[in-house]
Amino acid sequence: MNPIQNFFDKQRKHFEPGGRLAPWEPFYEAMERVFFASPETSPQAPHCRDSLSVQRYMMLVIIMVLPCLLFGIYNAGYQSFKAAGQSADVWTMLWFGAKIVMPLVIISYIFGFGWEIIFSAVRKHPISEGVFVSAMLFPLTLPPTTPWWQAAIGISFGVVIGKEVFGGTGRNFLNPALTGRAFLYFAYPVQMSGDAVWIVVCQNGNRIVDAISSATPLAVASTVKASGTAETALTQAGYSIQTLFIGLYPDSIGASSVVLCIIGAVVLMIWGVASYRIILGDIFGVLSVGYLLNLLANDGSMPYFSMNPWYHLLIGGTAFGFAFMTTDPVSAPDTHAARWVYGYLIGALTVIIRVFNPAFPEGIMLAILFMNIFAPLLDQIAVKVKLKKRIANV
Amino acid sequence: MKRLKIKKGHQFRITGQPSQEAIHISDSPVVAVLPDKIAHIKPRLKITQGQPVKIGSVLFNDKRNADFRFLSPACGTIKNIQFGRRRSVKAIEIQRSQKDESHIDFGVIAEHKLPSTGRKELISRILEGGLWWIFRELPIRNMPEPESEPPMILVGLDTREPFQPSPAVYLQDQTGFFHYGLNVLKKLANGNVVVYSDQNNRDLPEKVKSMLTHTIQGNYPCSDPGTVHFHIKRSAKENRAWFTNGQDVVLLGKLLSQGRYPTSRIVCVGGPAAPVRKHFQTRTGVGLSHLLKRPMIRQNVRYMVGGVMTGYTSDANGYMGLMETSLTMLPEGDSPEFLALFNPGYKKPTYSRTFLSRLNPGSLSYTCNLNGARRACIGCMHCADICPVDILPQMTYKAILAQEVEEYLEHGLLDCVECGLCSYVCPSKIELSQTFKQTKAAYAKQRPAAT
Repeated sequence: MNPIQNFFDKQRKHFEPGGRLAPWEPFYEAMERVFFASPETSPQAPHCRDSLSVQRYMMLVIIMVLPCLLFGIYNAGYQSFKAAGQSADVWTMLWFGAKIVMPLVIISYIFGFGWEIIFSAVRKHPISEGVFVSAMLFPLTLPPTTPWWQAAIGISFGVVIGKEVFGGTGRNFLNPALTGRAFLYFAYPVQMSGDAVWIVVCQNGNRIVDAISSATPLAVASTVKASGTAETALTQAGYSIQTLFIGLYPDSIGASSVVLCIIGAVVLMIWGVASYRIILGDIFGVLSVGYLLNLLANDGSMPYFSMNPWYHLLIGGTAFGFAFMTTDPVSAPDTHAARWVYGYLIGALTVIIRVFNPAFPEGIMLAILFMNIFAPLLDQIAVKVKLKKRIANV
Repeated sequence: MKRLKIKKGHQFRITGQPSQEAIHISDSPVVAVLPDKIAHIKPRLKITQGQPVKIGSVLFNDKRNADFRFLSPACGTIKNIQFGRRRSVKAIEIQRSQKDESHIDFGVIAEHKLPSTGRKELISRILEGGLWWIFRELPIRNMPEPESEPPMILVGLDTREPFQPSPAVYLQDQTGFFHYGLNVLKKLANGNVVVYSDQNNRDLPEKVKSMLTHTIQGNYPCSDPGTVHFHIKRSAKENRAWFTNGQDVVLLGKLLSQGRYPTSRIVCVGGPAAPVRKHFQTRTGVGLSHLLKRPMIRQNVRYMVGGVMTGYTSDANGYMGLMETSLTMLPEGDSPEFLALFNPGYKKPTYSRTFLSRLNPGSLSYTCNLNGARRACIGCMHCADICPVDILPQMTYKAILAQEVEEYLEHGLLDCVECGLCSYVCPSKIELSQTFKQTKAAYAKQRPAAT
């Protein structure tokens, strides 16, 4: 017999009703489901059921986020050594990057999953696999220098206030990972924004408490002098299109690599896990408002106005947010028509916040959260229109 | 002949397709009628245990409408009446007498006299002959009030649900009865009879092909009368159409042209776990063990009477229901699969694109496993994408939970064809279809009569 099966069979009695760990049964179930499918059969017609489960749905998202995590680990190490002026081989940089990034990921999982277990025990609902995705996405949106305690607070806020108080996955109207990120952004702006948080300073391979200033592409683009153009300023600051595309520059841990986000988004769309309507809507939104601003730009306006709109897709967290955050099916609208509008408005708002509001260099986070709130309204309108076409039947 | 293309739906790729021949099997010594499998009626028993019955004797009728009679398919004695919870009548078992096939005579209407027979006369003959159950009324799918006049009657020859009897088999040598039955329907519905079949069905007798009004193209449940009706109806006035199916029309033809209650049925047995995969010529209410012949040693097999998507579960000692004509057998699949979460799934059936089976042109392995556990709705939209009648099942479900009657009716709950596809695709394993069925039934008890 399978030893893992043996192990679970032995432990099961503690979690069954009357066992000493009975309240933590959802935890046991979640762990067992990682290794074994449920033996449960369909109670009535339809007698056979689709092989897709929520577990697999969420696991597929995590699989496509993993390349971003690996790249983020490498990039964090690479930037530290580069800033210190030292050279090192790939493995040293990966190891140093892992020491920066993995604690944040592990903390995020411990606290995110911990809250989920507590709520599932108290509220008596099964553990929903959505929390594994949130706890994976959340650390990737943070700067590498984020203090560990802030990561813990951030994911706790995201999971508890963003999700659990509304009843858990499926009932949250905000994206939990972004809710946590937004909380940190407003509660601890010093550690979350500015020029000095994107590189962990290293000396002889060790982390030291210091800061290196490095303007992100967003900061560069929003502070161009009136005489220049955003594109040349970015190129001069070392952000050529190629650099922005591959993502080897100081930025949030997992969000810098556009190419990996595109791969992730395309694969998720092929699998049908991410809605192509939302992603295409996002891109149309950015491009159309970007071009509109180009048309409005005159000699007196900021050079940011006349930046080629495609750059908006390359800089900041746009690609990561579009691929993994906007496509969260729970906080997005349910109907197809509303998803187009939802995506479009996120893209449009992202550009508007970026260009018109220098206080918030990154618009995507606020745009997504803002549209999360409007998702039910968009659904309501879409449903009303759809129902008008039905022949009444009462 | 019109062509109707239905875009939504799902194609099942189950092994165990039955052969296209009808095997005549010896008559079963015990047959049964299962009152609690007939939806929307309340049976009132007219017989007691041990009482002798003839073919056509009344076994029970509906408490709400005593004209809805259900007759005995065999001559013999009442062997046993099985009761379920709250004294629901589960089965009336009839021990057949070996030789005696005596029957009650209902009188013959010759085919040339049909045009001069009045509608009322026909209806009372059908009620008397115990075949009113072959008609059901949309949207509730209950037996229609005999006084009401249907806007149309839909006759489906085949369905795309796996392993239902093929019309080529059950219409063999029966086209005369079928034609007669259709003429009766035309009288009942003032000529508005829709006869449809699958577009790919090439085995139909030529004579039947000329009677078709529509051919349907699409995947399951495109041939469900509810689906067809939804796509051809023009206004709310046509909502309460009646429907029946090809095999039942043959029964109707036999009843009126022979004057006796018809008892012959073509039953189709199929599925990956079925020991035999054939069409059987047998009697209404035949026992499953008689149908399958060999001793039932197979464990972990589910017997589904009526089909994979809409049927009910039975054990090996059960019987075929009055309306059901197919028996499907699937492996139960109740042993937990190791590392199923990470299985690329070349043989796993799915509607989504998350398994490699999308690239597999062959047949897939189906079981009765739930393939997951109950979770909250995550808004994946699979149910809305697959619904053949454009309901938004997840929204309708939420309206039902909130008891917003007007809202779920507005969402088209009554258009639901009860095909079960929404429950099938749901990754959160929410029992959408079951909830819709129950809500419809509860609403049916309270809704106003037709105007």
